[in-house]
Amino acid sequence: MIRYAYFPGCASESTALSTTLANNFVFGRIGIDLVEIKDWNCCGATSAHTLSEPLGLALPARSLAWAEKNLPELDVVTGCASCYARLKLTNYRVRQDESARYMVEKIIEAPYEAKREVYNFLDILSPADVRGRIEEQIVRRFKNLKAACYYGCLNIRPAEVTGAKDRENPQAMDELARLTGAEPVDWGFKTECCGAAHQNDAAFETRPLARRILENARACGADVILTACPMCQLNLEMRQAEYARKRKDEKRGKASFPLLDVVLPPPEKETIPVLSITELLALSMGAGSGRLRLDVHHVPVSGVLSKGFRDENESEVMI
Amino acid sequence: MTDQETLQELMDKADVRQYDCYQCGKCSGGCPMADAMDLKPRGVMRCAQVGSLNRILNSNTIWLCTGCYACVDRCPHDVNVPALIEEARYEAARRGIWRRDSEVLNKVFVANLKMFGRNHEMVLAGLYNVLALKPAQDAQSVPHMMSKKLIGIRPHSIKENGELAKLIERAESWDKLASAPQEVKK
Ligand code: SF4
Ligand code: SF4
Repeated sequence: MIRYAYFPGCASESTALSTTLANNFVFGRIGIDLVEIKDWNCCGATSAHTLSEPLGLALPARSLAWAEKNLPELDVVTGCASCYARLKLTNYRVRQDESARYMVEKIIEAPYEAKREVYNFLDILSPADVRGRIEEQIVRRFKNLKAACYYGCLNIRPAEVTGAKDRENPQAMDELARLTGAEPVDWGFKTECCGAAHQNDAAFETRPLARRILENARACGADVILTACPMCQLNLEMRQAEYARKRKDEKRGKASFPLLDVVLPPPEKETIPVLSITELLALSMGAGSGRLRLDVHHVPVSGVLSKGFRDENESEVMI
Repeated sequence: MTDQETLQELMDKADVRQYDCYQCGKCSGGCPMADAMDLKPRGVMRCAQVGSLNRILNSNTIWLCTGCYACVDRCPHDVNVPALIEEARYEAARRGIWRRDSEVLNKVFVANLKMFGRNHEMVLAGLYNVLALKPAQDAQSVPHMMSKKLIGIRPHSIKENGELAKLIERAESWDKLASAPQEVKK
């Protein structure tokens, strides 16, 4: 049994419902035990370090220090790129800089030495033995499903903290997607920021970021975008109706009423489904769309499911 | 302290040196937020070189940078522009220069944390919309989220949220403590 101390992140309790179900399913199947950090608190995301450096380091440190004390033999893993960036940076700073460690320990009133590593899901799903376990569990493969793997900026950068080698064209998620029969497409926005960090306080300014990613994925022939972060997931999915309306408005040169998005959802060819990589793996391991609650997606995923599956003998599988 | 000295201090903290940047513009070329910035990353470095701290502190750049690090990755000299931007933002906040929407969001976020210890994206968005006077922002997604029960009425709270609130207060007052040197030097 492989075990990790698990930092779920706030989104796992609300908007990322289907991804959380898929995570539980996949990690259960492949025998990776995620031990939840008790009474974990929000990592502070973008806001804490926007306001103050001490706060940005102390919030993640509280949960990390608990794990270090109570689960000393386990490395930490999280499924959110924003949490990952904050936890990993805290670890890095505490190791690098004696005065940062002194400050953090004073503020959290607990010892913290950053003895263990912080990982994201892509890190822990990629080693050869884990890939082997995933392959063993896969019961059906997608047919002709073209996938654009979107890693997001914070799963990859800053390189000196994450240690990522290829920051423009990483391959970890592409390889996992291939196990499910999906064909990863070559495209330009794998690690381009989607702007999720400022989706509230600079909504107008960040809209083009998500829109460019979606439109590039479409233009490169993708049927689905895969994500490894619930923030990217929500940000890429939630406003597709709005972007479709804007594209239409831009073409005809006048604005239509925003509420149209709710009463008249855009046609399927104007949107692209977005799934987390664990949802894709879970589907391929045989989980049903009801069990995974795929109905919670803002953009219907029927386009992915209707592609159909094949089994090892290349014959069609009914879902 | 003169502005020149302050600027030098911010650069030292960010570990960025004026002469490392040769104004090639790769940072601005790859910055996803450049379109919306009134001072693009290369401009931030130019201002640092010529010593115009005020131009940096009053730019929207320090509030719009998403910290994606694309610029650092692509800079031929690994200049850490976002680290300088972050230090400049702290300095702007110390001087009371805020971009209003950012101030509202980040303060609501931390207030929320003090109460509950965790955050819910939609609770945060709701509070922000009210306080920033943007009631309709993302409203079209609310019916879907409510019907699928993705957003509840109350955020979950952690058990030790009283203790966490104190932790946040200690962190917030650290900057003041740190300016008294004997407190930090071990
Ligand atoms: S990419 Fe680097 S060297 Fe070029 S302008 Fe930007 S900071 Fe200066
Ligand atoms: S870190 Fe900031 S300045 Fe650099 S590319 Fe990203 S948004 Fe632009």
